[in-house]
Amino acid sequence: MQEATFLILTALAGSSQHGYGIITDVEQISDGRVRLRAGTLYTALERLRADSLIEVDREEIVDSRLRRYYRLTGTGKEHLAAEAARLQANALVAMSRLEPVGALR
Amino acid sequence: MNDDSDLERRYRRLLACYPAAFRRAHEHEMLSVLMAGAEHGQRWPRVAEVADLLRSATSMRMRTRLRTSWAWEYRHRRVMVPVRVLIGIWLVALTAILYGYGLGGWWGLLLVPAAALHFYVAYRSLRHRVQS
Repeated sequence: MQEATFLILTALAGSSQHGYGIITDVEQISDGRVRLRAGTLYTALERLRADSLIEVDREEIVDSRLRRYYRLTGTGKEHLAAEAARLQANALVAMSRLEPVGALR
Repeated sequence: MNDDSDLERRYRRLLACYPAAFRRAHEHEMLSVLMAGAEHGQRWPRVAEVADLLRSATSMRMRTRLRTSWAWEYRHRRVMVPVRVLIGIWLVALTAILYGYGLGGWWGLLLVPAAALHFYVAYRSLRHRVQS
């Protein structure tokens, strides 16, 4: 799973969000490191929807602009949980090996 | 306000690069996202943004085309699987004959991947893995 995909699913894990909401949330989650562009976002959303990891939640019109909200599906939650566990396991191994031996004394 | 409509028109023109079905479903919401991300008084899409939209539109078009090809292949699998297997076997036999007579040269580079591709497509149709 690519990092952008992981961050998009994470953004949707809390609550349903619309396109621009996902962009700002992903930027916040990644500490300003990842700023998704519209094309990248919609390519990812389209693929995630085809894979049934996300679905459309509802639509709103704000200032005559369409906002479509997306949410995670059950499958989406499972995928995200599995990926998060995998990343955590990898990170734990990396950190334990980097830890200087002296620090344990 | 005028700046806004200029920018919106230019974004719309870029979104026209997407496949028609995608545009029908997502043009309005993408436009909202693009306009929400624009600076106040901005009149032109940013260069990086244009590149990103064109890249995304191209990949979506290619994916759409690939998907319809697979769907066609799967629908006609009763005919296409045997045809592809036969073509694959023929290509392998041809390669063997050519090299047997020492006439192979560089032809193998073309014939072997072509045979592999035919076998792969046939295998995939049998496995019923059509992208949705």
